[in-house]
Amino acid sequence: MVTLAWRNLWRQRRRSMITSGAVGAVVFLSLLYYGMGGASINNMYQSLTEATGHIQVHVPDYRDVREFRALLIKDAASVEETLQSGAGPGEVMGVLAVPGLLSGEDRSRGIIAVGQDLPTSLRNRFLEKNLIGGRLLEEGDLEGILLGAALARALEVELGDDVYIYAPGTEGFGAAAYQVVGLLDLLDPNFESRSAYLSLAAAQELAAPGAVTHFEIHFPELRLLKEDSTALTRRDTLQAALPNYSVESWRDLNPSLVQLLDAFGPMMNVVNIIFFILAGLLVVNTVYLSLMERIHEFGVIISLGAAGRNIVRMITLESVLLCTTGAAIGTVLGLLLLAYWSQNGLSIPGLEEYYASFGLKPIFYPSVKPHQVLFSVGFAIATGILAALWPANVASRLEPVEAMRFTA
Amino acid sequence: MSTVYSVKELKKDYQVGEVTTHALRGVDLEIQQGEFTAIAGPSGSGKSTLLHLMGALDHPSSGEVWLNDTRIDQLSKSQSARLRLWNIGFVFQAYNLIPVLTALENAAFVLELRGIAKNRRETVAREALAALGMSEYADRRPNQLSGGQQQRVAVARALAADPKIILADEPTANLDSETGHTLIELMQHLNEEHGVTFVFSTHDPRLLDQVKRIVRLEDGRVTGEETPLSA
Ligand SMILES: Nc1ncnc2c1ncn2[C@@H]1O[C@H](COP(=O)(O)OP(=O)(O)OP(=O)(O)O)[C@@H](O)[C@H]1O
Ligand SMILES: [Mg+2]
Repeated sequence: MVTLAWRNLWRQRRRSMITSGAVGAVVFLSLLYYGMGGASINNMYQSLTEATGHIQVHVPDYRDVREFRALLIKDAASVEETLQSGAGPGEVMGVLAVPGLLSGEDRSRGIIAVGQDLPTSLRNRFLEKNLIGGRLLEEGDLEGILLGAALARALEVELGDDVYIYAPGTEGFGAAAYQVVGLLDLLDPNFESRSAYLSLAAAQELAAPGAVTHFEIHFPELRLLKEDSTALTRRDTLQAALPNYSVESWRDLNPSLVQLLDAFGPMMNVVNIIFFILAGLLVVNTVYLSLMERIHEFGVIISLGAAGRNIVRMITLESVLLCTTGAAIGTVLGLLLLAYWSQNGLSIPGLEEYYASFGLKPIFYPSVKPHQVLFSVGFAIATGILAALWPANVASRLEPVEAMRFTA
Repeated sequence: MSTVYSVKELKKDYQVGEVTTHALRGVDLEIQQGEFTAIAGPSGSGKSTLLHLMGALDHPSSGEVWLNDTRIDQLSKSQSARLRLWNIGFVFQAYNLIPVLTALENAAFVLELRGIAKNRRETVAREALAALGMSEYADRRPNQLSGGQQQRVAVARALAADPKIILADEPTANLDSETGHTLIELMQHLNEEHGVTFVFSTHDPRLLDQVKRIVRLEDGRVTGEETPLSA
């Protein structure tokens, strides 16, 4: 029966090849799409969690607080201790973000001076991803400052120049001079033009001795969105341990991006299903045409004693064979291309700026999961079966005498 | 001799729009085991209609068709399919064969529908092809065979299934008269050597000189019967 189905497909070689090719193309595209989509999702997850940490601890209702002093976590040391003991593999980092005025030789800008001492893993990422000149700060450095490259341009300062920060109304010195030791590419130009980085000690000396505005907890080994639940459970434990503070996950911190992220998977499935439906219609058409051309032949076959289910099986087999051949070719090509890209990375020129505006890296390392391959191939087979349903049903109802009178 | 077929008062009307055609107007006929019967009659006399009803391919307007002890004129689609698969062999006018299958695969096709394993069915199909002198063409596709050869493969396919009866509706219609003659002789030979019961139809009187039993059909009625060779 398989031989029969296979040879019947060869009867209309070109038509079968086009249809099969369409199914193959859909499988191919859906694999690429899953590959790129999966990469985008994890890429976005990584960028988001790197930027904000997986968990942040603030004073309660900090979003509504306008005044700097009210934002401070004063007993930073004891909170940090609680966090350290509850964070498991997470790295705890205190951050003091000070609003102030930054002046160069003869220009000034309103900025946020972020005081933080990056843990080693983040420091390395920061180094390769963001540092475009000079060096990073060491812990406890009271002299050096890092500037967003756009900010440095706006102030007309360069590496080695001196700059001054005024942070009036704070609890520290309120003003200090620093030397520019590093320049940063922060992807988002807006953010880049108002960001400066100090060591935590320097920021505290400037604005709030012994205090921080928030803590970030990073889980450097969490790279994939699907593993994220560990971070979310930690958040719950830490919130219970620190009832007087607001403990939020990265999801609470980036609500609109999280929405986008969450819609991505279902959206990919919907788009794929639409593709498969379109391919399916083409398959229905092909199967139906080949039935029309062989009505006489089916008449003979039914006369010889083939039951309705024999006919259904013959037609379904042809349709499934048509789809699986295409699917197999599409899968092989798709996986080869993805394997190449996952080794070498894929950068899409036009998209770079667009992605950068979301703080995303423009280079992808696509990955598909086995279940997505199965999903695509399974869909192709299902398409074959569904596409055959109607023609097979029509054929199995043919009256043999009537069918044999047809053409011939 | 036992009765294989028994056709009683068989009528078949076709209604096309306002016009009713009485294709069969009450046919009575018996076919005995081992007979070789020709249904002879001009075009439009109802030969095909009769053979279709005997093959449970269609339902009559009235009357009865019995195959052995089973009444077969009112069977459901699946019942009649099963009946044909296991009991009745068919040879049609032309385009009998499945074009993508070889002669051997065509000859084995009914056995495949019966679910018989490949080795077994090909052995049987080879024997059937041999009985029709078609062994050397086993691997050819129908379009690589002449019309006469194609019809022999069709007979081989019916023979391989070892049915109670083989019904052949104008098997020679698309053949020249010499080839047609040869085919009828082959069928007759199978009938004599293997005891296969045949009923075939023809409108060509020249094919009838060897036939043991001729049933004349005209305008939907049996108008006569001859057994020329029994004399
Ligand atoms: N499906 C049909 N619808 C209407 N009329 C039909 C149909 N099939 C057969 N007929 C008519 O019934 C009559 C008998 O037809 P049938 O095909 O049985 O004759 P036949 O003896 O086989 O003729 P031929 O030698 O041309 O094959 C004819 O008048 C034909 O026109
Ligand atoms: Mg006829």
